[in-house]
Amino acid sequence: MQNKSEFIKIVKQNEGIIYKISRVYTNDEEDQKDLYQEVVYQLWKSFGSFRAESKVSTWMYRIALNTSIAWLNKRKRKPHKISIDFELHNKADEKDTLMEERLNVLYAQIKQLGVVDKGLILLFLEGKSYEEISQITGFTSSNVGTRLARIKQKLKKRILK
Amino acid sequence: MELEEMQNLWAEMSQKMGKQQSLTDKIITDMIQQKYRNRFDKISTYETIGAVVCFIAAILMIVNFGKLDTWYFVLSGGFSIAYLLVLPIIVLNSLNKIKRLNIAQNTYKQTILAFAKAKKQLLQVQKTGIYLNVIFVAVFMPVVGKLFHDKDVFLESNLVYIYIPLMMVFLFFFSKWGYSCYTNITSSAEKVLQELEGNK
Repeated sequence: MQNKSEFIKIVKQNEGIIYKISRVYTNDEEDQKDLYQEVVYQLWKSFGSFRAESKVSTWMYRIALNTSIAWLNKRKRKPHKISIDFELHNKADEKDTLMEERLNVLYAQIKQLGVVDKGLILLFLEGKSYEEISQITGFTSSNVGTRLARIKQKLKKRILK
Repeated sequence: MELEEMQNLWAEMSQKMGKQQSLTDKIITDMIQQKYRNRFDKISTYETIGAVVCFIAAILMIVNFGKLDTWYFVLSGGFSIAYLLVLPIIVLNSLNKIKRLNIAQNTYKQTILAFAKAKKQLLQVQKTGIYLNVIFVAVFMPVVGKLFHDKDVFLESNLVYIYIPLMMVFLFFFSKWGYSCYTNITSSAEKVLQELEGNK
């Protein structure tokens, strides 16, 4: 099926986005895998209505962030998990333990932020412009700027502590 | 870790990730198959079963309503039927509202706002439920006793003197626990709403 193979190709090309977002919103690998699968499923569900009016990455960020919020809210009510057995190989470099340690510190700092700020700083770190962040999050560009300035201050304060 | 350092590290990580590929066609195909993800739907199934049980109980009470021959049984029976019909509908409706959220079309802000509002609303229902439970537990068993065993526990036995105080003690602790859960979750929903408004 052309549609499916196209989808698989897009997911493979952008799997880093799903990895990073699922890691920011979860605290352990099991939950991360669970959220990761849910994001892929939600992407597939909305793939049919994706019109390519926006960039593929913008569409993916939007779905992945929204799914993370939904997952956070539904997780507490979840009776049990049915997971696919797969490995999250997508770490920066498994051999580079120093880098992994630094990444752990980086993710820990992001995870300390509130739910709104987490999404914004993630998009900022991904190198998105205020305009793109605005399209994904629904905040105005100027509001994105104000919020990011505040988040940077918060992070700075934490670093100085 | 300084912010600039964070940016550099993030960029380095993203670059390395770009070169890797861990997902196979099979894993992605498995992930998009419905059989692996009925987790969220199952919760509604449990709650739907609960609602069906409540409806059956209500129907049985309606059918046998004529057996309730005193004013306090009519009042208790009426309350029990209303409780068994209305509360499950409200809870299922709140859950459906959350289910109907459009993840594909909504923005991040809209999604967070919708969840925070839905959570507050659901908790408001649960808070009301705590108070209604007190009355329900007190009247339900005597009504059942009257309907199915034709016993007036209010007059014919001393059971009511044990049953009601016992239930009240149980409900006191249950409601206290329920209310503290309510305030904790509400404050977290409030926090999110404040964050969205930019007050935090």
